[in-house]
Amino acid sequence: MEALIAIAIGVLTAGGIYLMLRQRTFPVILGLSLLSYAVNVFIFASGRLAINLPPIIDKAAAGYTDPLPQALVLTAIVISFGMTAVIVIMALGSFLEAGHDRIDMDEGGE
Amino acid sequence: MMSHWIIAPVVLPAILAPLIVLLMRQDLFLQRVFSTVGTVLLLVIATALLVAATNHPPEVYRLGNWPAPFGIVLVLDRLSALMVVLTALLALAVQLYVIGTDWDTRGRHFHALFQFQLMGICGAFLTGDAFNLFVFFEVLLIASYGLMIHGGGRDRLRAGVQYVALNLVGSTLFLFGLATIYAVTGTLNMADLAVKVAALPAGDFALIRVAAVMLMLVFAVKGALVPLHFWLPGTYANAPGPVAALFAVMTKIGAYAILRTGTLIFPPDTPATGSLIGDLLLPAALITLVVGAIGVLGARSLPRLAAFAGIASMGTLFTTLSAFTPAATGAALYYMIHSTLATATLFLVADLVTDRRKADRIDTSHPAIAQQGLIAALFFAAAIAMAGMPPLSGFLGKLLIMDALRENAALVWSVILITSFLMMVGFARAGSALFWKPAESKATSHAPEPLAFTAVFALIGGLVLLTVFAGPVTVWLNETATHLHERGAYIAANQLPGGN
Amino acid sequence: MTIALIAALPFLGALLPGLMIRAGRTACASVTGSITALALLLLGLQAPAVLRGEVIHARIDWLPSLGLNANFMLDGLGLLFAGLILGIGLLIILFARFYLSKSDPMGQFYTYLMLFQGAMVGIVLSDNILLLLVFWELTSLSSFLLIGYWKHLPEGRQGARMALAVTGGGGLAMIAGMLILGNIVGSYDLSVILENKAAVQASDWYLPALILILLGCFTKSAQFPFHFWLPHAMAAPTPVSAYLHSATMVKAGIFLMARLWPVLAGTPEWFWIVATTGLVTMIIGAKIALFKDDLKALLAYSTVSHLGLITMLLGFGTKSAATVAVFHIINHATFKAALFMTAGIVDHEAHTRDLKRLGGLRHLMPVTFVIALVASLSMAGIPPLNGFLSKEMMLEEAAHTVWLTPWGMGLLATIGALLSVAYSFRFLAHGFFGPKRSDYPTPPHDPSFGMWSAPALLTALVIVIGILPMTAAAWLVDAASGAVTGEVVTVEIKHWHGLYSPALWMSLAAIGGGLLVLGAHAPLARLWAATPRPEAKRIFDGIIEPLAALSLRATDHLHDGSLTRAIAVATLTIAAAALYAFGGGIHLPGTRALTDVTVVPAIGWFSLMVATLAIIVLHHNRLLSLVLIGIIGLVISVGFAFLSAPDLALTQITVEVVTIVLMLLALNFLPKETPRESAPLRRLRDAAVAVVAGIGIAALAYALMTRDFAFPTISEFHLAQSKPGAGGTNTVNTIIVDFRGYDTFGEIIVLGIAALVIFALTEALLRGGPANDRLLAWKPDQKRAGDRHPMMLVVATRLMLPIAMMVGVFIYLRGHNLPGGGFVAGLVFAIALVMQYMASGFAWTQARQRTDYHAIIASGVLIAAASGVGAWFNDMPFLTSDYGYVHLWPLEEFELATAAIFDLGVFLTVLGAVMLSLASLSRIALRGGETVNTQAFDIDPSQPERGR
Repeated sequence: MEALIAIAIGVLTAGGIYLMLRQRTFPVILGLSLLSYAVNVFIFASGRLAINLPPIIDKAAAGYTDPLPQALVLTAIVISFGMTAVIVIMALGSFLEAGHDRIDMDEGGE
Repeated sequence: MMSHWIIAPVVLPAILAPLIVLLMRQDLFLQRVFSTVGTVLLLVIATALLVAATNHPPEVYRLGNWPAPFGIVLVLDRLSALMVVLTALLALAVQLYVIGTDWDTRGRHFHALFQFQLMGICGAFLTGDAFNLFVFFEVLLIASYGLMIHGGGRDRLRAGVQYVALNLVGSTLFLFGLATIYAVTGTLNMADLAVKVAALPAGDFALIRVAAVMLMLVFAVKGALVPLHFWLPGTYANAPGPVAALFAVMTKIGAYAILRTGTLIFPPDTPATGSLIGDLLLPAALITLVVGAIGVLGARSLPRLAAFAGIASMGTLFTTLSAFTPAATGAALYYMIHSTLATATLFLVADLVTDRRKADRIDTSHPAIAQQGLIAALFFAAAIAMAGMPPLSGFLGKLLIMDALRENAALVWSVILITSFLMMVGFARAGSALFWKPAESKATSHAPEPLAFTAVFALIGGLVLLTVFAGPVTVWLNETATHLHERGAYIAANQLPGGN
Repeated sequence: MTIALIAALPFLGALLPGLMIRAGRTACASVTGSITALALLLLGLQAPAVLRGEVIHARIDWLPSLGLNANFMLDGLGLLFAGLILGIGLLIILFARFYLSKSDPMGQFYTYLMLFQGAMVGIVLSDNILLLLVFWELTSLSSFLLIGYWKHLPEGRQGARMALAVTGGGGLAMIAGMLILGNIVGSYDLSVILENKAAVQASDWYLPALILILLGCFTKSAQFPFHFWLPHAMAAPTPVSAYLHSATMVKAGIFLMARLWPVLAGTPEWFWIVATTGLVTMIIGAKIALFKDDLKALLAYSTVSHLGLITMLLGFGTKSAATVAVFHIINHATFKAALFMTAGIVDHEAHTRDLKRLGGLRHLMPVTFVIALVASLSMAGIPPLNGFLSKEMMLEEAAHTVWLTPWGMGLLATIGALLSVAYSFRFLAHGFFGPKRSDYPTPPHDPSFGMWSAPALLTALVIVIGILPMTAAAWLVDAASGAVTGEVVTVEIKHWHGLYSPALWMSLAAIGGGLLVLGAHAPLARLWAATPRPEAKRIFDGIIEPLAALSLRATDHLHDGSLTRAIAVATLTIAAAALYAFGGGIHLPGTRALTDVTVVPAIGWFSLMVATLAIIVLHHNRLLSLVLIGIIGLVISVGFAFLSAPDLALTQITVEVVTIVLMLLALNFLPKETPRESAPLRRLRDAAVAVVAGIGIAALAYALMTRDFAFPTISEFHLAQSKPGAGGTNTVNTIIVDFRGYDTFGEIIVLGIAALVIFALTEALLRGGPANDRLLAWKPDQKRAGDRHPMMLVVATRLMLPIAMMVGVFIYLRGHNLPGGGFVAGLVFAIALVMQYMASGFAWTQARQRTDYHAIIASGVLIAAASGVGAWFNDMPFLTSDYGYVHLWPLEEFELATAAIFDLGVFLTVLGAVMLSLASLSRIALRGGETVNTQAFDIDPSQPERGR
């Protein structure tokens, strides 16, 4: 299982980076979301994997998985949600202002 | 009994901002009054904290009353107090400038975002918890996104998108690093990390080193260290002038974080990391300095010139920090204060000029601008400060730094001096082109904006004070540096279980 | 303290002219003058003691930790130079009063002048080499302002920049030299350093220090090969040239060489570098001066030449030579300043300084002529004037110095003298002698007394010193050179050294030869004009301009605003650094037992992989890639649920929905296709970068998951304390709202800010400008669905709304003990409302809900903050929670925790933030011409076409 998760994280990261290297805003945003998936799973995995051990206190529970990384992931998810919202609107705005959605600026030679 | 004042720099703006949104969204005047009063209060509180931190050992504030390392703590020590004061000072000047130039009328929610920005910065300086540092990085970042695109406009938005995208990459890296640290040590409290990392079994060294480097790189992105600096020129050059001036302290947050973690968690005497950070930092920092200086010499527009001058000063700062010796740290702190004020001054002056020229290119000849003489004098002062020429604190900072880095004189000195030369020439060219070209027609008219000039004078006044009182200031800073490198008191203040 | 005051006075005085100019030019000048006079007076009061051989000190701590202190000292050398600077300064102020025209801003001029004067006095009185550095660079800066004083002249601007670059640059080199010197000695105080000759000259760092310091001196004193900046600085007004470029600034380098003479001089390195440089400079300067037609240029190069002479003498490293150097410094200052002012007068009266256009002035301006005559004869070294005395002594020294050959130095020195005779006479012959001309730009005549008084005074000195050297100058020379050499000096100045002194014959040769050269000037000048020679300015510009251009190109090329490059570079940097770090430490693979794979998760994993790869391939189709993103999010949340993270699953799925909606709305206005624009090679490169990152992270993740924690984790405490301490069984939630509630506080503020940013941006977009125009002109590029608000959907959502809200409340309430909480609840609410928007259209819904999202966000944050601040009142830290059990009939006992209030804040902020963002987007849509229905349904059988 660990291997599968690790590979998943890796593939998500690679996909994210690849899309971020495209020249339009939209794929870059897609790439960012892939990256945030990757990092969320990564944080989650930093608490190690456990099956059927939810961190809900219960007499009958056989044990608990590490709750802290989960809490951290929650925070991370929320924050990256806010960030995504902002960059989406900014991308939309710059498209409307500039008439194209190229992400590279041409500062040289102006 | 801990004083609740420690959290005031976070709570005050955190309450003020929503109040502004809730009650005075439609009334700019009220916003200005409350926002300014809030910043003044922040300055007062920060100063009080600075005094407290000077006279007492580091003080810990346990949020939710949970003991470290299980809950989040704030730690007030000389460094964090200093940074908060610096932030408040700069913020006040910027705020006056914004009001004086009506920048806050060019878009919505300026003051609310401004307060949130301050909250994020102060939170980042005060926190003693690694993950909480991330959270407040995000707070100050998202606020900075808003301020950066304040007023909108094509180039500003496009630069904004890049700024956000790159910082999101940085944030992602931050999370990777934190998760790695937790996965190895099982803790997030900085003091606890200091203890745990020092006691780490050898088998985990490689992983913690990776984590350390990841964090360093995150902070390097904030600090615009080459080759992670690409976001800065576009962002600073396209951001509203006063916002760019405020950002002068944002880059310092990167420097602060490197200094904090590099002295507390990964000090050179830790077996796991050793001199890793310094080794990576020094070359990059020197290159940063060179890139910045070249940028100054070859700058097309005044804002870009200011941006690259800022990069150069970060290079100087990181060069000094990379030594991780008390002497160097002391010099670095002095230079950090200087460069924050100087960079901000330069950006404000640049804004004064571009706002009057309505064109930011340097070489285009242009009728004399309103208040030309005064603005030229201010530019001269700012240029002297940035290029590190006497009589302003930049020169003293340069001397302190060169003296502190004499171990590595041949390399470091020559880079510092050559880059100073390039910047001197660059500023001389820009200045004479901007202010000495004959004016074809009579001066363009423009509102006098006394408040804005007051703000600029205040910043320059700060530089002068920093120069005149360099003696006592450096004494204080050197003590601060010593405390940072001893780190015992900081850890003790956290009262970690197990007697640490 | 007095001497500190002497240094400070000019700076304080610098403030006055700017104000006094309002009272008129004369008032301005006299105030400025009186400041200088006062400083001079104070100096005079110190003189007797100094001449008795005392050294006066004043110490003010400034930056002790560095060793930079405001320490001043006054000895013979300092007295001489301070006297020159202030004395001549006074005359210059007087001269400038009459020289500057009404159109020149005189206040500014005097301010700059005083700044410069202060810097100079500071240099010569510093007892701390770091302090000296400060003043040193200040002279560069203030001279930059003075040279560029006539802003309208391009030569002025360029000359100023060149002077700053050369002298300032030299100063930078000197910083290093001084720091080294200080580190060798262990103190930056001159008086200490001067004691340590042996230590300094023994050190390995002696040569670097020497070279770096000399770089500073040579650039400042315009020594070869740095002599080129001085003539270009002549674009400055003549008073500036007279002051900076003859009397003071260019002497700063000389001064420093004299000052450090006891420590640095006396070694072969010193002799060869300094003496040779001086010699070469003397000859080259004189030669160029001979062929310059511009009076000021001629004088400028003659200054270069004389500075070379002095440098050479200091280079000899002998006590007697140093003494002569000091004597010549005095003499040169007197006659050269006088000559510059004469040139200024001529320029001022005849409106030209070109020797080719002058001549015969002696008939028209007799007074000026007399002054010029005496001064230039002294410059030529004609007895009995003071220039003659020091030149004789110089030749004497040269004759006894071995350089390459026993006679080499003597010969070259004679040639130098010869040339200086030639150009001095030319100055007279071509300027003042000859027939009166008819074609002066303006008919010249003697100026007012005020203007010629200053040079006249100097000329008087030339004569007095010349005739009575022992009474007029010897005492000063003794004191000064005593300070230089550190020994007692009693100089013997004679006019006649007897027939057997080589100097006599050398100077006779010089005078004779000089006259011959002058006679042959015309052909020589033609020859000179014909011979190609390096033009310093062109070389300098040839270095600086391309450098600037190169910097511009390099900078713009590197920072052309390419995000893709930035990200690629960053990724590779991170990967490389991480690899480097990993390689530097020991790594033992983990020993933790692995969880085994079952079929279902394997399938989930597989679909995740497929979806991700599909996005990479199909990302050009934006709609499709959004769907794929949705799938990925779905799989991940299921994975969370499977791996015992129900809260994550819940949050992930809800966030997913909102995010997708958001992106769909945005995509509505974005191109639906991403064009294929990157070449295969580039795609390959990007893929490589991406794969590197992916492998790295995957490896890291695996290494972490397969090992145990090095120490017990802090979360054990959270599990243990969740129920007893925080009063909740859902540990994740107790961490969120209690243990780490502060994080959550920050997190919801992030959301709030995000909404504000989005709102502000929307405002900016709709305020007008290109974005607004584009929206108004916007044409839907997609075929619309038949009915955009299908009845089924409308009805369903209406029914769902209350249910969804119930669910939201439920989720909120259970959160503390079971998966859920304010955040998810907020999202559920938001989704329910969004459904209304989607189903029934924006306007319809907007019309039906009056709540202001700003208010919701703000109150959410405030509630959260309040729940934290509340703790202060029972003297607990921010966000300290409390809980208790309430029994409220008819309900059964239930728990109330302050954390719940905090969670309410979370709930509201999330709700408000999401709604405000979506509302902003909808406003953009409205501006984009989205038809909105005010009726709930757009299907109206009577008008079947409506809404299509």
